[in-house]
Amino acid sequence: MSANESPQPLVAAFDGVTVRYGKTVAAESVSLQVASGSVYALLGRNGAGKSSLVRCLLGQQKPAAGTARLFGADAWTSRVAAMVRVGVVPEEPDVPPEMTARAAGEFCARLYPRWDAAGFAERLARFGVPGDVPAGRLSKGQRGQLALALALAPGPELLVLDDPTLGLDVVARKEFWEELVGDLADRGTTVLLTTHDLAGVEGIAERVGILVDGRLVVDEELEALKGRFRRVRFASLPDTRRVEESAGMLGVGRIIGGEFGIEMVVERWRDDGHAVLGQAAGIADPEVSAMTLEEIFTAVAGNGRGGAR
Amino acid sequence: MARAVEIDPANPAPIWRQIEEQVRRLVATGVLAPGAAVPSVRELSKSLRVNPATVAKAYQRLVDAGVLAVRRGEGTYVADAPPELSAGERRRSLRDGAERYGALAMGVGAGLDDAASELRSAWTALQRDANGARS
Repeated sequence: MSANESPQPLVAAFDGVTVRYGKTVAAESVSLQVASGSVYALLGRNGAGKSSLVRCLLGQQKPAAGTARLFGADAWTSRVAAMVRVGVVPEEPDVPPEMTARAAGEFCARLYPRWDAAGFAERLARFGVPGDVPAGRLSKGQRGQLALALALAPGPELLVLDDPTLGLDVVARKEFWEELVGDLADRGTTVLLTTHDLAGVEGIAERVGILVDGRLVVDEELEALKGRFRRVRFASLPDTRRVEESAGMLGVGRIIGGEFGIEMVVERWRDDGHAVLGQAAGIADPEVSAMTLEEIFTAVAGNGRGGAR
Repeated sequence: MARAVEIDPANPAPIWRQIEEQVRRLVATGVLAPGAAVPSVRELSKSLRVNPATVAKAYQRLVDAGVLAVRRGEGTYVADAPPELSAGERRRSLRDGAERYGALAMGVGAGLDDAASELRSAWTALQRDANGARS
């Protein structure tokens, strides 16, 4: 974006949002932004605060401090107007168990001005979700597909997916992500999602947020995040003190001593990292490997905050 | 082609670069012949389960480099002729690749002889693939 253009409106944004339940702090001073047409994955362990933030954005929870914004407006005060533009796949499918997929589609069609009935029917057929069976008798995978079909049919500008593949088997998870990718290609929908399926969103998320105990400790483009994290293994036990000294220079996240040597996660890899570590350890050949999103997440959210050894 | 392109999540290279380099290789070795259709952004992103914007970025770079060509309303194809580079462009593009390879080799502590010999065997393997694809 050039300096003369007006800034693109943010589809969703959190501005210093704090959520409290009694004395428990679920989210603390979280600020993040979801730009138009992007896919943001909000990650965290159970209880890290993901769902609390999603509830704030959907106007279901009033922040104790700060503001969640939908299309620029306060999500708490303007939720009714904004929700027509948002498609939601909730953690727990909210179609009543006695309602069939077809009836659910007809019910929702009346609530939205731009309901795509043909697309809805076509999706159900493709997923093999029967239209005349009560939702309570569908498989978990089918209920997830139904929830996605219901969320996409109104042609939403923002799609909010709260752990949408929870409880789905491998095949159903793949189908779910494929369907989402197809919608991204067709319409360029903006997406905010939470998930534990890190391998599933590896290629899909453009930006990643990681919550640890209610605090947002990572908020970064996935490409940049993967560019700076490395796992380093030493084949034989090096001088730990010297490694820690050089580790400080590299911004190492943490050092894990292992039975067969030492392993560490470097948070800010540098081009000369091989030389720095090799010299410090007195071992010429440390084995350095890139990390998957899942491995980075484990390092950051695993045993407390990276860097605080 | 969709299956010939694979994403490795443990590869430090960005996904768009992985796609770009693999398509380049498929074209260079003749597995994808001039004029052959490549999958649409939508198809390839679905089969790889990656963000369509990522695939689009790789395709755009390949189109800019003259490896692929877009026929309006029809789709994307392998360019009819390999990109004609001026001597200057060819040198620049070789230097760019050489610097990246050199930095990588130096980074893992390899000497120039080792690096050159790896390049030579890779070259032989690529030629073999190319002959195989043409026969």
